[in-house]
Amino acid sequence: MLFAARFRQGMKAAIPIWIAFVPSSLAWGIAAQAHGLTLEEIVLMSAWVYSGPAQFAVLVPLAEGKSAATVLIAGFLMNLRFLPMSTALAPFFRGVKRLPLVLASHVVSASSFIVPYLQFQKERAASGGRSLADGYGNLGFFAGVGASAFTVWVIGTAAGFGVAMSFPTGFEEALKFILPGYFAGLLVAEMKGKTMPLICLASIVTAIPGALFNAGWGWLATAALIAVLGWRLEKWLSRA
Amino acid sequence: MAFSRLELIFILGLSALVLRALPQVFLVGKSFPDTWDRLLRYLSYALLCGLISITLFMSGPRFDAQAAPYRAVALAVTVAIAYKTKSAVTGMLVGMVLVLLFSWLR
Repeated sequence: MLFAARFRQGMKAAIPIWIAFVPSSLAWGIAAQAHGLTLEEIVLMSAWVYSGPAQFAVLVPLAEGKSAATVLIAGFLMNLRFLPMSTALAPFFRGVKRLPLVLASHVVSASSFIVPYLQFQKERAASGGRSLADGYGNLGFFAGVGASAFTVWVIGTAAGFGVAMSFPTGFEEALKFILPGYFAGLLVAEMKGKTMPLICLASIVTAIPGALFNAGWGWLATAALIAVLGWRLEKWLSRA
Repeated sequence: MAFSRLELIFILGLSALVLRALPQVFLVGKSFPDTWDRLLRYLSYALLCGLISITLFMSGPRFDAQAAPYRAVALAVTVAIAYKTKSAVTGMLVGMVLVLLFSWLR
């Protein structure tokens, strides 16, 4: 199928993502303004980093002027999850030249990964594997999902900045609660199994002594340790 | 070496692009082991929870003992409502109202 037709198909499939991105992008824009970031910084971060969790991860260290290494490592660790997402999509873009692949990969995010991935799996099963050969068509679908969701995200964060500017004084507490509250809600809504709640609870509890021990690195180190321990425990339990 | 905020954002975006683009260029036809996928997912969950904790309960390098109990209650209510309704937005809105009420009452 033609790239343009597949692009439009992708845009239609992305409508639920647009709806989900409106509150989260607004929330990020509002929180970033409340933490003192400028409109240029907010829009640049949304457009160039384009990762809600990583943007949240670096917001406080960036706003409080923590060391560059803290900011960069927090963002990097959060973005590591793009590796498996992008790897899973790669076989569907067979035959596509490197430049369009690199450009399109900028819009890989949790949401813009799952919609095309499920669609490609469905098409592969229906066509007996032939859909894998349509690399450019698949890229069109992915770009339709990713580019439209990306646009909603960037516009939403800029709008969030505007909304935060119009809040009267006395609402700072509530504005600063938006992002942690939203992410806590997201995590709970998609919680499965026993390992994830355990990891979350342990990370919440241990982050404080970690941060008291070292304000820059403590919480990062405890979170990484808890994740590895949870992962090892799960492997050990599944073997037993 | 000191970086401005804009420079940090630029480097951060560059690292994100590398992580997104590397598999497209070098890992075509390869698969990512499920066990490592799980570890990376757990890492991002743990980091998010750690962040939620320090954002709500720390004030710079010190524990915010005065506000922490109120924020903990608001967080617990947020989590309970998000779990019940399966809506992060509803949970967040209720939590925001609670935090606001607590801050006015204190």
